[in-house]
Amino acid sequence: MSEGVANEKTGGKKLSVEARLGLVAFTIDSEPHIKLKEDECEKCNLRYCLFVCPARLYTEEEGKVKFNYEGCLECGTCRIACDKIEWNYPRGGFGAHYQYG
Amino acid sequence: MTYLLKSLKVMEMEEKFDAIVIGAGAGGLGAGYKLATEGFNVVVLERGQRIGAKSVYGGRIYSKIFEKEIPEFKETAPVERWVGSERLTFMDEDSAVTLETSFKSKDSFVAILSKFNEWLGRKVEDAGGLVIPGFKVDDLVIEDGRVRGIVSGDEKLFADVVIDAEGVNPILAMKAGLRGDWSDHEVAVGVKEVIKLPKETIEERFNLDPDEGTANLFLGSPTKYGFGGGFLYTAKDTVSIGVVLRVDSAIARRVQVYDVVEDFRNHPFIRRLLRDGEPIEYSAHLVPEAGIAGIPKLYGDGILLVGDTAGFVLNRGITVRGVDFAFLSGLIAGEVVKKAHEEGDFSAETLSIYERKIRESTILKELSNFRRAPHLLSNPRFFEDYPKILCEVMKSVYAVGETSSKIYPIVREKMSGRVSVLTLLRDMLSVVRNL
Repeated sequence: MSEGVANEKTGGKKLSVEARLGLVAFTIDSEPHIKLKEDECEKCNLRYCLFVCPARLYTEEEGKVKFNYEGCLECGTCRIACDKIEWNYPRGGFGAHYQYG
Repeated sequence: MTYLLKSLKVMEMEEKFDAIVIGAGAGGLGAGYKLATEGFNVVVLERGQRIGAKSVYGGRIYSKIFEKEIPEFKETAPVERWVGSERLTFMDEDSAVTLETSFKSKDSFVAILSKFNEWLGRKVEDAGGLVIPGFKVDDLVIEDGRVRGIVSGDEKLFADVVIDAEGVNPILAMKAGLRGDWSDHEVAVGVKEVIKLPKETIEERFNLDPDEGTANLFLGSPTKYGFGGGFLYTAKDTVSIGVVLRVDSAIARRVQVYDVVEDFRNHPFIRRLLRDGEPIEYSAHLVPEAGIAGIPKLYGDGILLVGDTAGFVLNRGITVRGVDFAFLSGLIAGEVVKKAHEEGDFSAETLSIYERKIRESTILKELSNFRRAPHLLSNPRFFEDYPKILCEVMKSVYAVGETSSKIYPIVREKMSGRVSVLTLLRDMLSVVRNL
């Protein structure tokens, strides 16, 4: 397991969010369970999704919001922060399999 | 009636359950347990690959309700450690001030919720209930305004009553028109890391007996001074740390939620406690935080809401309680279904006794007793000014150069421009009266 980059502020080790997601067991479905409405995202100035998602699955590329449903922790925070997201849980048996939740 | 119609009728009867429960969390399993114990034909449907696969919380369960309801609780429950030490820590960027209360008690225990719910699931099965994992409910079957069953993919299941224990995201309850969605100030996002450490190391570092655990809550820097707190719970050979942050606060402060728990783990105070520990899991979950004001209508024709879906969580700021409330609401829902079955009527009118029973239960007594807590916990001074002032004051009180200062001038200096003495006194009074 990668320890990520050292955190200069604390002198400790810091795990990137990708490394932390690597600790979670997932079964990824072929179809995304969360869908964005691209035209809505395009004109959105708020873009809370970029920082409220604990898995950092929303990113910005060339001014557009990109979303990767793999690695979703299924919390629903994006759904609360933005009412334009077509949100659902993954199909039965798919998604995260927590052992220490 | 033709033969064909008759046989269809029989098939329908056979496929119909007394009750369908959506979700094998503590709420759904409470309902399943009660109904199975009473001999009803009940099925609990769980979207996770196994029971507990989607369960996430902070770390502590209050035990009284489980002890009372499950005979073999003491012998078989997956208790990690009994909480014998309660710690409240005020934190700024580089320091921490902790108030520790150490006492022998069996009121609450640290548990891994995934394992605890798995255990509860076995109790339901032992009692004759059916729990089906890997089964996600997509929709409810509603006919003439009455809930008749559930839809999953192209499959339909029917029941006299559906108990909605889907959890904090009330997707189905909203579809059924039973409740609206949460606002961003009514829910908090909890993010957690689980760190593996040897059992003995945990006991040494946290000053604990072998079966004893600590529950530590943190105010201040863990939430970037927004509404919420940090937490640390010691399990047997793991420590759960996390940050719970109200969603409105995360938005207003533009908090990078994906890094809060990592920053918390790297705070000098936490880093030392967890030295050489190995992070083994990362998780996130929403927490209802609206208290009694967040409770929706709890019943409809053929449906009852339990657990997080119904908002049954008490946040007192210094403690959080929800798993036992969820379980108890499930038990009560089970009792009500039994009553409705006796009357042969599952209309909203009959099921309305659920709301009355919830009101008379520990759940509403507690939420009502602490009805002012959500308001109090919307006071920014508790999350920003007071943690900072307290840390700075204590650092200065202990600072000795050639000379040192008395406490009062230090307090005045640190409070100056931030909080008046009158406001401080009023806030302290509000804490002791409402929490």
